[in-house]
Parts: sequence; C-alpha cells; structure tokens
Amino acid sequence: MKAVRPAQGDSTVADRLEQETKKRSVIPYGQGIILYLLVLSGTLVAAEGNRTEKTFEAAPNPRITVTNARGQILIRGWDKPQVHIIYTVMSPYVDIDTEAIPSGGSPDKIHFATHFLDPRVSENDRTVDYSLDVPTGTDLEIRNTQGSVRIEKVQGDDASVESVGGAILVTDFTGHLFLRSIGGNIDVIRPSGRVEAYSITGDLHFVSPTTSKLRGTTTSGRIVFEGDFRDGGDYSLSDYSGDMDILCPPSASFELNAKTDRGKLENEMPMTIRHQQATPLSSANSLFGTHLTGKATVSLRSFSGTIRIRDR
Amino acid sequence: MSETRHDSSAACYRFELELQAYMEGENKPFVLAHIRECAFCRVVVEDLEALRAAVRELPLEEPSAAVWSNIRAQLATAGAFAEKAGFWSWFSQLDFLRRPIPVAAFACMVALGCLLTAPRNYPEQDSTSALTATARRTAVRSMGFMGDNEALERVVRELEATFRAREGSLAPDVKTTYENSLLSLDTSIRECSDSLQREPGNSLAHEYLLAAYSQKAEVLSSALEFDEGR
Repeated sequence: MKAVRPAQGDSTVADRLEQETKKRSVIPYGQGIILYLLVLSGTLVAAEGNRTEKTFEAAPNPRITVTNARGQILIRGWDKPQVHIIYTVMSPYVDIDTEAIPSGGSPDKIHFATHFLDPRVSENDRTVDYSLDVPTGTDLEIRNTQGSVRIEKVQGDDASVESVGGAILVTDFTGHLFLRSIGGNIDVIRPSGRVEAYSITGDLHFVSPTTSKLRGTTTSGRIVFEGDFRDGGDYSLSDYSGDMDILCPPSASFELNAKTDRGKLENEMPMTIRHQQATPLSSANSLFGTHLTGKATVSLRSFSGTIRIRDR
Repeated sequence: MSETRHDSSAACYRFELELQAYMEGENKPFVLAHIRECAFCRVVVEDLEALRAAVRELPLEEPSAAVWSNIRAQLATAGAFAEKAGFWSWFSQLDFLRRPIPVAAFACMVALGCLLTAPRNYPEQDSTSALTATARRTAVRSMGFMGDNEALERVVRELEATFRAREGSLAPDVKTTYENSLLSLDTSIRECSDSLQREPGNSLAHEYLLAAYSQKAEVLSSALEFDEGR
C-alpha cells in the first residue's frame, strides 16, 4: 500500500498553521544555539587570553627583569643561548613592554614589563601569565605584585624576587637569592648560593640547602628548615609568633644559639651545652650549645613561637 | 644630580640592596658596573671605603671588664637602662661593639650613608608621603639599624596616615594582604611594648619591637610604592 502524500492544496488551514508554528519555533531555537556557542567560544578565548611567543638571542649570562602585577611567572633554565618567552594577556588594554639592551646582536639585558593602556582596566584583566626559558647563567630580577613566581634550575649570580601576596618557589638556584613576599609563602629547594628570604605572614621553607649563608625572617609565618648545615656556614632564622622546625641529619655539625621569649624550645639533638654569655635578665628560653664539632653557626630566634630542633 | 638619581632609581635601589654584601667583600659585578654609571652611588661607595680604610688604621683597644662594669653601673645609676636597656642589651650581644672607636667610626659611616642616600635625593619633596619608596626604605633601614626608636615610630605614624588616606585605591586582595601584615606587625609591636613595660631589660622584646617598627615602615612603603605605580 502506497502512502499518499497530500497535495499543498489538500492541507487544511489548521495543518498549515501547525507547520508554521513549528517552523518559527525551530528558527529561534537554532539562533539561540548558535548565539550560545558564539558566546561560549568567546568566553573561552577570553579566559584563555591572548598568547604571544617570542625568542631572543642572548648573551650567555644575561640579566632578565620581569615586572608584573598579577598572574604567574615561571622561569626555567635551559642550555640554549636564547630567551624564549610566552605570555598570555587577558585584556586588549594590557600590553607587554619589551626592551633588549643592546637592541642588536645578543642582548645582555632584557626587560619585560606589564603595562596598562587604560588605568581603569579591571583587576582580573590585569592578569598576565609569563613563562620563560632562559640561559642557565641568567641573573633575574622579578617583581610580581599579586602573583606567584617559580624559578627552576637557573645558575645565575643573583636573583631577586619581590611580591606582595604571591608565593615564591625557587628550585636549584646557585647564586645569591633575595626573596621577599609580604603575604606569600616562600619555598627554596636545594639552593647553593647565599639566601635571604623575608615575609610577614608567609611561611618559609628551606629544603636541602647547600648554601653557606642563609637568612630567613617572617613575623607570623612558620619556618621549616630541612637539611644539613655546611661546614663554616652561617644560618640565621627568625620569626615572631610562628613556629620553627629544624630537621637535620645526625651528622650535622653546628653551634646553636636558640632563643624564644614566650614560646617553647624543644631540642632532640644531643648537644654539648655551653655556658651562655652574660645577658640581661629575661624570661627567655635559650639554648647555646654544640652538636658534634660545631662547624656551622646556627642562630634561631622567636618571640612567642616554638622552636623545635629534630633529627630527621 | 637628583634628576639622574631619580631616573635610575631601580638600579640605585638594587645597588642599595647589594651594597652591604659588596662592602663585606662579596663579588658583586652589578655594584661595580653601577658605580661606573651613577656618580651619586659612586660617591657613596668611595666615602664608605674611605671610612673603612680609616677605621682599619685605628688602634684596637680592649677595655677591661672592670671598665665595662663601671660604665654599666654608672648608666644604671643615671637611670639610663629604664628606657634604653633593651636597645643597649641588644647591641651588647654583638662582639664588635666592644671596640668603641671602630664602632663610632662605623656609626658615622652608617649615618653618612643614610645622609647621602636618603634625603638629598628628592629635595623637591618635603613630606614622608612624598618621598619615593627607595628613599623611604633606605631611611627606615638606617634608622632601624641605628636603633632610633622614636624616629622610626614617627616615620611609621606618618606613613600609616598616608596609607590610610590612599588604601581605598588598592585592589581588595592586595589591600587584604597589606592589612593582614599590618595587623600581624601591630600585634608584635603591642606585645613587645607590653613585655618591655613589665621587663625593661628584655633584649629580645626590644629587638623584635625595633624589627616590627622597621618592617611596618617597609610594608607601608611598599603599599605606597604600589599605589604610586598604578
């Protein structure tokens, strides 16, 4: 039996009205989906930001400075005489100033700075993420106000990193490190040059340093030092109300001068206690002693935090 | 000269950061390179080196323990420890202070450094709030080092007033970071002051009080610098 398709003229007014209604409802539905997809893709593009990639030939030991307001900065050392940078901006009102000195040939200095074309740009739109691969001998000067900074395997003479609220993580840096974050945590892993780390509310964490000069200060953050002390090294750690944990191997040789005013002092390392030099009368808990032959000098200070020295 | 100094403030700031290590004998190529370019910083280094050379030539004399005991007894009788015991005790822990002549020379050196690096850089600006961050930081560090509590307190008060007037322009999360830090430091200042009231000879409390004021000034300077840079 064949199906008989009714001719146009055979359809009733009611049928035509029904078809028209279906047609009308399908078109806006399709427009909505397209619009939705456009908005979604636009949002995704905006969220991903505008990514730019550049490569500079550089001197073997260049100096790189990065000045940024928000976002992450990642810097890795590599064995090429080039600086490769990828940055992602979130707004057309944000630009990156790049200056290479000297401008021709292989520059000794390269400056990257986030620049706002419109001061009214929103805080979120100020975000710029940087990723740099730099020659291993690079010196660094990084300022990232409200974003994290991560440095890996760079062997320059010095690096300074400053932030207001961002975390700082430095791994395997060989030169002088100057790190300061007012509210962010600072982690330094396997440094081998002089280390200076300062925070107010952030924690300080030092892991396996082979440095001979280390200074760490925080006010209310915690300090954790995990590792050995180098012969002849000078280590000075100070916090106000945060706790301090020193975890060192039984073979560590150091002279200890630890003092806390209101906190506890807990020592698990066998020490030869030395007579403390005359100090004014105070309620402080202090320990002045030597572990093994006392080759390194370790000074620990806290006002109301607990100081723990443990065998790891 | 102030123009030159102002233009190169980032380099001069880094110079200041590395100066101490350089003067301690560390290899600091940047300092050497910078003083070739910046006449102002070169003068600072030359003066510090001249003073250091002069200090080396001074005879080192070790006063006997009896001398120190007598001085201390006289100061105690004069009531000097009621206000300054903590400060003095803090410094008395440092061995080099047993040699008064080099110490006096070193104090002059620091004062000279402070004089050279802080106020003259920005002669057109007369209030604390108008000083640039580098100058403020240098001045604050010098005052902190010299243990000048009252000057530090005054600077901190002025900086805080400026900060409060401008804090509205900071981003909420940045402002929160600064507020938390200031809260933490205010707690330190309050607790250390209370400790010193009860125990004027508490060297650790005095040490932390001085550090807290110094850090608070630096935090406020940083906030104002951040605000200026926006």
